[in-house]
Amino acid sequence: MSLTALTKPWEAMSYGFLDGSAKRELRRKMLKSVAVPGCQMPYASREVPMARGWGTGGLQVSLTLVNPQTRVKVIDQGADDSVNAASIRRFIARVAGTPTTKDALDADLIQSRHRIPEEILREDQVLVLQVPNPEPLRPVQPNMSIARQMHADADYGRMWLQLYEQIVRSGRVMQGASYPSLVHGRHVMTPSPIPRWDVPKLHMAKHLTILSAGREKRIFAVPPFTRVEPLVFSDVPYKVEEHGALTCTRSGTTGFFMNEIPRDDGSSAFEVSDSEWGVKTIRARDGNGESRGETWYKDGEMPQ
Amino acid sequence: MAYVATRGGERAIEQSERLFREEMGGFDRDRVEEVKKSLPYLIDRVMGEASLYDEDLAALALAQTGGELYEAVLLLRAWRTTQPRLQVAAPIEQDTLFTHRRISAAFKDIPGGQVLGPTLDYAHRILATDVLQGAPYAPEPVEPATNPSPAYQPSVSAWQAENDLIDPPTNDPTKGNDIPDLTREPLLFPSKRAHTLQSLARAETGGVLALGYAAMRGYGQAHPTVNELRLAEAEIAVTHPDGRQFSAGRVKVSQAEVVDKKGEKLGIGYAATFGWNEVKCIAAATLDLNSPGAEKGSATEEEFFLYHTEGVESSGFCIHFKLPHYVTFQSSLDAMRDAKAKKAGQSKSSDMEPAE
Amino acid sequence: MLATPAPSLAESRDNAAFDALLWTLSRPGLPRDLPEPGEQSIVPALLDRECLVYAADPLLMPEIMRTGAELADIDKADHVFLGAMATSEPLADIAIGSDYYPDEGATVIVRASLGAGSGVRLTGPGVDGAVTLQLGGLPNGFWKARAARLRYPMGFDLFFVDGARVVGVPRSTTVEEL
Repeated sequence: MSLTALTKPWEAMSYGFLDGSAKRELRRKMLKSVAVPGCQMPYASREVPMARGWGTGGLQVSLTLVNPQTRVKVIDQGADDSVNAASIRRFIARVAGTPTTKDALDADLIQSRHRIPEEILREDQVLVLQVPNPEPLRPVQPNMSIARQMHADADYGRMWLQLYEQIVRSGRVMQGASYPSLVHGRHVMTPSPIPRWDVPKLHMAKHLTILSAGREKRIFAVPPFTRVEPLVFSDVPYKVEEHGALTCTRSGTTGFFMNEIPRDDGSSAFEVSDSEWGVKTIRARDGNGESRGETWYKDGEMPQ
Repeated sequence: MAYVATRGGERAIEQSERLFREEMGGFDRDRVEEVKKSLPYLIDRVMGEASLYDEDLAALALAQTGGELYEAVLLLRAWRTTQPRLQVAAPIEQDTLFTHRRISAAFKDIPGGQVLGPTLDYAHRILATDVLQGAPYAPEPVEPATNPSPAYQPSVSAWQAENDLIDPPTNDPTKGNDIPDLTREPLLFPSKRAHTLQSLARAETGGVLALGYAAMRGYGQAHPTVNELRLAEAEIAVTHPDGRQFSAGRVKVSQAEVVDKKGEKLGIGYAATFGWNEVKCIAAATLDLNSPGAEKGSATEEEFFLYHTEGVESSGFCIHFKLPHYVTFQSSLDAMRDAKAKKAGQSKSSDMEPAE
Repeated sequence: MLATPAPSLAESRDNAAFDALLWTLSRPGLPRDLPEPGEQSIVPALLDRECLVYAADPLLMPEIMRTGAELADIDKADHVFLGAMATSEPLADIAIGSDYYPDEGATVIVRASLGAGSGVRLTGPGVDGAVTLQLGGLPNGFWKARAARLRYPMGFDLFFVDGARVVGVPRSTTVEEL
């Protein structure tokens, strides 16, 4: 055997940037995270040409899943054109030659930071959520080793206590985004910093969701048709943001998660956060055809 | 159809990168060569933190980023991660290091002698301003010793072990591919010894110093004595597929052993890294010395210092706060307003705890 | 800058094999097509020198050895290829991971015939209500032996291969024999 037999022909870059060994590790861990929904699986998490904390976990999953036919959508804060979403989309297309799209219905794979699109995802679609902090227990236990033990024991008492204290103190659960949720009745997970508005979209969904934290080196998943239940007390129901009655000043759409835009006169205007939903609404309003799909929320309410 | 305020994002990010690059100007091979020649200690630091020993690539990364160190290290790590693993070099024993500098603060003299080697330790730190006046700086020639010190020397701790002052670490026979590799598996706690040492070796110098310094000042239990500090070159011995061993070259390494009394014996902390970087090795060895039995959540606890000295992760997370967070902010705002309204409904007190 | 790299044949095959595995494990009981019949395409998609593998079928050995994976006893292996099973005894020894690290539960690949033989009813994550399928060629007591080892989240995850068809049954699935 010669030295060259140990390696492969030189390439400036592997397809999809990641080398075979990185992809295989991610594949193995993705299978495990699907097999135990909501349970954080550790992985090596390679460095990629993007800073840690900028979607490197989601990116590694996307780069492992894509092939030249995969139509990719990338959003940040609901918007395809947000600078980092544009950067990630450009990177994936550049290293994997994938077609890209802004239409949630048209995408095979959606990588997102902080939002789930308003249109219902189908069973042939995969949602990849970027996760800054995969550990829902961190506010009550910053030490990873102890937190892991708590998950092993399904010891979520301190989590409940914290929620209870918030209700006593403030009259409600103060958790904004990243609302801790029980998956398949066993593991508490963070749904990533999506707003409370989006958490019910994960419950018994048709699509597969993979959540990946590159910096913290943890991957977890919500398979289709899996229970995802926000932690709530029976007498204090789960409350999504009160956006159901708000209207987008740009597109006129009502009943979706909004961005609040402060105005000079001290008031607020609202713009729909899912930018492509806004674009589609404008298109329909202007008589340029209906391209909107069915949405999770109807009239500002999530049907039970 | 201008919808998003940042529409045109693709163009904006492209132009902002162009602006950065234009302000820095072009660079070529000569610039890279010049960086490599003139800044060897910076190159060493970057190679150590990137855990990639290649002076040319390190110099290239510095030239390409204008010396933005976190960016340079990230460039090198991202390049490194895609490279195939051809071989794992043979383990190195301390007495096979080609030693340039080796000092001990524990003993006045040590077997093999104190070898000062190249150092600025006793230099007067006076800025050579006359260079700016046009007078080039030419270093005084070194006068070779009549009796040169031996290039290969045992470790000080080996002598201490012989004299029953120290329990030497048990020999770990793990070889080749079986050695745990931090870049191929996640860091889990309690950490594998190999992972701890690898993590310290590629830790960010400033971060290691900050936490090591905290331990030195008294936030750690053990007070370090520098048992041995060594700057050396290590032979990279690899095996050809036909079975022959050969040298793939030498790399600069630094290592530190620090000790403290622990019962009737000395406790020992150890760290080593690519390149010559004494501050990092002493600080890292101090953390290693302090870590057994350290309180959970303290700066000298392994989980705490390994996570928080990882420069690519910490710098990346720090700058990620520049990204828009208006969805999470909106969500918190909603909870705050609702709680406020509830409280106003109950009483007039509006003092409340914000969401985290 | 660098041109967009094209996927090699091996890359495309691995990608397609994994796509099938991920899809079917996410939807227990619903089969999917592998790029090639048998376990051949699963091996390079998942295995490399970081894996410990047990294979009951000697014909799979060359493919496994090519990946650099190390052979291991069944109780140490993270990937277990049982081929066509004669008895359900091997299930008793397969690694199920720990509460602490459930990911150390093994991935198990078994040859079976889909659409023939006895029926099972699956419920759990990934299943819309319930799904029934016929799975033949498994030894007596297979499902009882699986149930005996399951201590969720500890357990092992199964793929049944029939020609190019593959169907996944993760540890989270409740299996009822019909």
